Amino acid sequence: MLGMKDRKMVWWLLVLLISGLLFTGCSNGADQPADSRKPEEVIPVYTIADAAGDWGFPSPWGHYQRGPGYIRMSLIFDTLVWKDDQGLVPALASEWSYDQDNKTYTFVLKDNILWHDGQKLTAEDVVFTFAYIKQHPYAWGDLSSVAQVSSEGEQTVKITLNSNFAPFLNNVAATVPIIPQHIWDKVEEPGKFTELSAVVGSGPFRYVDYNKEQGTYLYQANDQYYGGKVLVQELKFIKANPQMAAASLSRGEVNAAALQPEMAGQLQDKYTIIQEAGSSNVKLMFNHLEEPLADKEFRQALAYAIDKEDLVAKAQRGYGVKGNPGIYAPGNRWYAGDAVQYDPNGQKVQELMTELGYELVASEGRANPSWTKDGQEVKLNILCDSDLIRVAEVLQERLATAGFSLEIQSVEVKVRDTKILSWDFDLALNSHGGLGGDPEILSKFILVGDFNSARYDQNPHLVELIQKQKTIMDEDERKEMVQQIQKLYAEDVPVLTLYYPNSYWAHDGKIPLYYTSEGIAIGVPIPLNKLSFVQ
Amino acid sequence: MKNKLITYLAAFIFLILLNFFLPRLMPGDPLLAIYGQEAALTLSEEMKKELISEMGLDRPLPVQFGLYLTALLHGDLGVSYSLNASVWSVVGRTLPWTLLLVGSALILSTFLGIILGIESGWHKGVKRDRWILFLVIGVSGLPNFIMAVILLLVFGVQLGWFPLGGALTPYSGWTGIQLVGDVARHLVLPVTALTLAQLSETVLLTRSSMLGSLDSLYIRTAVGKGLKKYRIKYGHAGRNSLLPVTARLGVSAGRAIAGALFVEVVFAYPGMGSLTHHALLSRDYPLLQGIFLVMALTIVLANILADRLAFRLDPRLRED
Repeated sequence: MLGMKDRKMVWWLLVLLISGLLFTGCSNGADQPADSRKPEEVIPVYTIADAAGDWGFPSPWGHYQRGPGYIRMSLIFDTLVWKDDQGLVPALASEWSYDQDNKTYTFVLKDNILWHDGQKLTAEDVVFTFAYIKQHPYAWGDLSSVAQVSSEGEQTVKITLNSNFAPFLNNVAATVPIIPQHIWDKVEEPGKFTELSAVVGSGPFRYVDYNKEQGTYLYQANDQYYGGKVLVQELKFIKANPQMAAASLSRGEVNAAALQPEMAGQLQDKYTIIQEAGSSNVKLMFNHLEEPLADKEFRQALAYAIDKEDLVAKAQRGYGVKGNPGIYAPGNRWYAGDAVQYDPNGQKVQELMTELGYELVASEGRANPSWTKDGQEVKLNILCDSDLIRVAEVLQERLATAGFSLEIQSVEVKVRDTKILSWDFDLALNSHGGLGGDPEILSKFILVGDFNSARYDQNPHLVELIQKQKTIMDEDERKEMVQQIQKLYAEDVPVLTLYYPNSYWAHDGKIPLYYTSEGIAIGVPIPLNKLSFVQ
Repeated sequence: MKNKLITYLAAFIFLILLNFFLPRLMPGDPLLAIYGQEAALTLSEEMKKELISEMGLDRPLPVQFGLYLTALLHGDLGVSYSLNASVWSVVGRTLPWTLLLVGSALILSTFLGIILGIESGWHKGVKRDRWILFLVIGVSGLPNFIMAVILLLVFGVQLGWFPLGGALTPYSGWTGIQLVGDVARHLVLPVTALTLAQLSETVLLTRSSMLGSLDSLYIRTAVGKGLKKYRIKYGHAGRNSLLPVTARLGVSAGRAIAGALFVEVVFAYPGMGSLTHHALLSRDYPLLQGIFLVMALTIVLANILADRLAFRLDPRLRED
């Protein structure tokens, strides 16, 4: 007989499966304290379910560019440093230091690191890797900050930068996978190099198999791992619908899986649920190049008219965190709590709009009066795609009561992106990830970039600070600057962060999975840090 | 038959034209239309230039069409940027799974449908007929993906009789008969969902032609000769009722392939449906176009095959 809870679960599954056919999201995540309980004995098989399955051949040039592809590669290849749930930790390098005068990082490699084929890993391999990536660009290895790399003896590597570059440790040293020179120096086209030797790394797992059409990976523990005993003998990635995560877990077919938010509550008694919010966001973009949205006060008035918490409740079914107009989510270590929050405030809307010369005029056939200037009623279109149409509807309803009339324009994602790029909109809804990593992202999401960026350079002070923070090597000083940026950004509000969707993983507790501090490498919010699998 | 082949050829040429012109007629940069904004942004300027000259996007349309056709003849469907592989290699790996799924479902639904149709027609108006009609129509009223979800929840999640998805148990190490058994076990639920969705058409078609046959003189003669009931039912009336079903087989195949798109997603089955789902989500336009072309070609081929089969079964067609 099925218990009440099971029956409820089956109903949830039914709803989720049907809705899952219509939309599929991607998972995100980033801060949860690690569980220090690690298993005493080696687990023979550990299986992780994934909705997409295939993330490419797990060599640096073979994996697909998005986070899950990098994760599969990262289990095989190690970097100079790495991150756990607290921050940077040694990986290939046992220690590192920065000489500000010469703009040079010195990394000292650990003793006796072996490649999976038994050869010794030396400083030469590191020098080779950087040279190779300069020649054969790798999406996760932006080496534009690096001027020169050299070795001193077998264990010391010196990396000289073009100029002070604060994101270096996160975005280069903890991201660039080190590859064996003795294998790759003969490879001309790394993208097409898919032989077994292409997946010889120095990480905790050895490659055994990858099946593209089944979307499966099989890895084996690297018994000679320099970082400690590997706790899982065989690691498998299999493809499974996220709606089936609960059933697969309870059947013991998988040990860990990403979850639909609705399932988290049902499963929390039996499994460990880890939750993350803040690495991705849903935001409202303003066309700040054209009237009336070119006026900062107009944008602020709109921001005060929006109830972000209501939005989370209605459009996100409560599975999210209210947006911080200063970009970063509360809980992120760069978060500035004192940026203006634009909590709903009708009086502020009145003041700002009246100051701009608008007045509320009632019109026939409308329930609410509208803001009008020179006989012209304020009418704005709001661009969105089918995924965000519910958000648009909630906004439309809410803003109508505040005197702003919105017309929803729902288009295919690509059309939306093109329209945003060419500034063919008044308001636009957009969602993207990538908020978890180093504040280098501020430039990408505020100043320059694609349809995900505010492309806002009207405030010279803001521009200057965003450029400058990258070069501040002192963390406290940089943090202060980043918080200043958030305040200015929130004040100018060229884009309004509406909310951060939650994402969930469930696992059976055999391996204490956690979200990495600031995300894995450049900020991947997936709780599959290789260090969880190592004693 | 010749006329039909010309029709199919025309249909195929139309599909190729559509595939070629659609992205190129979209407003804006055709490279963006073909590769999508996201991909185009990750491409470097050099790569963009290389792609443009490779696809001849800077040349006049007729030249572009020539290049496109030459590439097609060489089996070159372009490159899927999201899967970092040639479209043909990706499609080639997934197509067999879809053919297995759709083929099994078509054979089963045709076989079962004919038997149920014959039984239902023979017992017209009595309880057995009414039950068959009620069940068949009731079941087909559900869209195939709802059926798939229900089957999965009941037989997969609750009863645990069948796997929750996929085409085989990953890294089971099985070979030979064990592997075949494993693949078959994974096939049961998706095939059942597809079969049930296809069933009503065949049943109703067989039933109505059965009713027509039962009134014919040759049946009365057969009854008069004192032939056994099952011989009249299956050998005489039933055999003739096969014709409309075979004639519809091509259309059914098209429907089954379309149905498989949804069913595969529900069961995470690694076929063309799951691939389409992936291509849509990652907006991989070259992949979508490749899938579109291969699916269309498969459906056209299925139609040709069905026609050949009808031709063999029905001597009257040969006389024409």
